[in-house]
Amino acid sequence: MASSSMRWNMKKIKEKEKMGYIFLIPAAVLISVFVIYPVINTIYLSFFNLRIQTLTEGAKFIGIDNFKKILSDQQFKTSLGFTLKFTIIAVFLETIIGMIFALIMDRAIRFQGFIRAAVLVPWAIPTIVSGLMWQFMYSPQYGIINAIFIKLQFIKDAIPWLTDAYWATTATIIADVWKTTPYMSLLILAGLQTIPKQLNDAASIDGANKVQSFFFITLPLLKPVLTVAILFRVLATFRIYDLVAVLTNGGPANQTASLSLYTINTYFNFGNIGYGAALATMTFLISLLISFLFLNTLRSKLEGAE
Amino acid sequence: MVKTKKTPKQILQSLFYIVFFIFFVGSICFPFFWQLVNSFKTQVDLFSIPPVFFPTKWTLDNYKDVFTRQPFHLYLKNSFVISFMVTVICITVGSLASYAISRTNIKGKKLFLLCLLTITLLPPITIINPIYRLLKTMGLLNTYWGLTLANTTVQLPMTVWFLQGFFQKIPRSLEESAEIDGASVFQVFYRIIMPLVAPGIFTVSILTFIGAWNQYLFAQVLNPLKIRRTVTVGITLYQTDYTVPWGTMTAASIVITVPLIIMVLIMQKRIVSGMLEGGIKE
Repeated sequence: MASSSMRWNMKKIKEKEKMGYIFLIPAAVLISVFVIYPVINTIYLSFFNLRIQTLTEGAKFIGIDNFKKILSDQQFKTSLGFTLKFTIIAVFLETIIGMIFALIMDRAIRFQGFIRAAVLVPWAIPTIVSGLMWQFMYSPQYGIINAIFIKLQFIKDAIPWLTDAYWATTATIIADVWKTTPYMSLLILAGLQTIPKQLNDAASIDGANKVQSFFFITLPLLKPVLTVAILFRVLATFRIYDLVAVLTNGGPANQTASLSLYTINTYFNFGNIGYGAALATMTFLISLLISFLFLNTLRSKLEGAE
Repeated sequence: MVKTKKTPKQILQSLFYIVFFIFFVGSICFPFFWQLVNSFKTQVDLFSIPPVFFPTKWTLDNYKDVFTRQPFHLYLKNSFVISFMVTVICITVGSLASYAISRTNIKGKKLFLLCLLTITLLPPITIINPIYRLLKTMGLLNTYWGLTLANTTVQLPMTVWFLQGFFQKIPRSLEESAEIDGASVFQVFYRIIMPLVAPGIFTVSILTFIGAWNQYLFAQVLNPLKIRRTVTVGITLYQTDYTVPWGTMTAASIVITVPLIIMVLIMQKRIVSGMLEGGIKE
């Protein structure tokens, strides 16, 4: 009796395992066709000279010439510089502001539901649409932002938001922070709510003030959640495309052309598939490098999922 | 109840809170509100210097223009069909995969999770050109299926990540007792597990739908032709080299966004708690 039930159990486990593999097949096929093959193909093509204009001649192997060209490519440097600056400043601001919002939302306050609903508005709006919104608000003559600033006498002359490289970068950062801070604050709020309130209470009994208990209790406990959120925000911000595509279209003079925008232009406007692939590979490598900085975080995320 | 007088500190605190509240909600909602007001303005009001806040004359012309200058109803339909297909496929494929990951002891689980994580970290431009050429060879450019499959793949990791969290919460004993009663693995999955995670699936469906609806890069590259163009691509094409019809564009952005915002506000509690749960899981 015992042995037969054991056999039955083993059979059941085997069957279940078989089903497990079968259940994974659709996802595995999709990922292989639409992610793994494309990544390998892009890396492969980055060693070739291949242009739409001369497609009939086929691809010519040129070794690492594309990458040599990248290193001396002024536009690549500009794009990389802009993308890095944009990523660092935007994520920094999002984290700080998101933290402040989350700390306030974490307290029992009135209109909590209303605030949370408001937080979701920028998140739900397509980036393309938010780009267009901000573009009109930034307009030097008709824009509301300049109008308000002039009315409040912050400035005398209209700020050339989108036609000056410095201001265009600032404008892009503001638009991005507006769109993503609310989501960030929700993620941080999730982390805050896992921290037992008694800890802070105990600290305050022991004489710690609010600032101390934030830095010595809240922040260290929040660190795991915070690093995951920052990692994902950094990588998402690093591949910025939609926002610059509509807000500045890379202008003025390609000063705000992010790496993604530059790559897309190389691919589809200039038809340079080989060089575009090299740019895409570089972007991929830099993303990998960033991920490696967060290796421990990633590992714990993987283990948490199992 | 005796009304206690507030101490100065409390008054200061509530004052601070009100200022925060106005600043917070104001800065978050103002751009959308401004867009909404602008969409009812005439050309004269839109381009007056300095800007007028409320329309001197309310008009619906901008909304008419949205649908006459481009076949925007077609774009809306395309976006809806594609986002719907993405959601259905993502949830189906995603639930199967999440079940396999969280409920069976198969090998290669870690590899699969690593793949998923890599996709979320991967810049889409790394894969866009091969996907473009692949779909071109298969004749799937400017079709529902081509864009749907590409979109599904990028949405899949998020879906699986959320879903396997929901699967893990279901007690194993439920499954086991059904198995002892002789149910097959698929029956257990379909009859026992799926109904239990239905609320979770609903939340993830909304997130997936919104993600697909808002997608721009793939839509722009894979479906450039009018017949299968989506709203996010369509809205950028009102402007020409000579004119930027702001009225039309603001109205179009309201048309695109309002369905999402209504959906989000109705499901607000669900979405936030779904996000919070997904956020906590490291």
